[in-house]
Amino acid sequence: MPVDRAHLHRRYGPYVYGVGREDLRNFSAAVGGGIPGRAFASSAPEHVHPYAWDEDVARAGPHGGLVATPGFATVFAIEPFAAAVIDPALGLDLVRLLHGEQELEWLEPVRPGDRLTTTGEVTRIDERGNLDVVEVTTLTVNQHGRTVVRGIWTAVIRR
Amino acid sequence: MKALGEFAVGDTFRAVREVDPFRPVYYAAASGDFNPIHIDPNVAAAAGFRGVILQGMCTYSWAAEVCVAYLGDPARLRRLKVRFSKPVQAGDTVTFEGRCVAKEGTTLRLELTARNQAGDEVLKGVVAEALVREA
Repeated sequence: MPVDRAHLHRRYGPYVYGVGREDLRNFSAAVGGGIPGRAFASSAPEHVHPYAWDEDVARAGPHGGLVATPGFATVFAIEPFAAAVIDPALGLDLVRLLHGEQELEWLEPVRPGDRLTTTGEVTRIDERGNLDVVEVTTLTVNQHGRTVVRGIWTAVIRR
Repeated sequence: MKALGEFAVGDTFRAVREVDPFRPVYYAAASGDFNPIHIDPNVAAAAGFRGVILQGMCTYSWAAEVCVAYLGDPARLRRLKVRFSKPVQAGDTVTFEGRCVAKEGTTLRLELTARNQAGDEVLKGVVAEALVREA
């Protein structure tokens, strides 16, 4: 069943995310080939930049302290997309749903202690062959009112 | 840190990432994406996969890291767009190859490919943009 276009511009959020130092470092470990957490934590993950992992190196760097690695945005900015995917009003079939496309734009570094507010809106409901396409556009703003990340999240549902 | 003048059109960069059996669990712990298809081999098998599949956003983050390693600073990456074209499974090896295709003032445009061990593209249409401010 096609997705009802009446839901175009349906909005989700605001969702607030408080960024912790260990959230950033755990994410860097998981993405960088290490192990998150403190119990079995690995040595420095090989594939992530030290500015997003090593506090001493980061302090001496251009940001004066740890910053999030870009992928960390998926942790907080995903909420409106996740909410849309399970929204009974949209009625998306989760068994047939795939994450089709992803675009993020980073405008401001994310640091420990930041308070990030994300909102989202359904910006596309389309049919492409035997696929339904639902796109959610998100905007994340930090505690200074500055835009941190813009995201375009595309779900594809096989009929 | 690498200066603007050290970046040139035609630069290439590359990384090889192994999907160890527990990578989807580690990524779930750090990201909060505990969809059972990433955690439970039985659920993954019922969905037609030989084992758990890696979160798409982990593959996306890996593509971002490949760019960051080339750029020398996580904050230089400004935009990354991908299309997910094939699931990445535990046991896969993903090879990322990137190229700087344009340099306009302080903006760099990058293109990447991401292929599994069989040569299949797991991401398509991967384009990135970076901003490298003069020191």
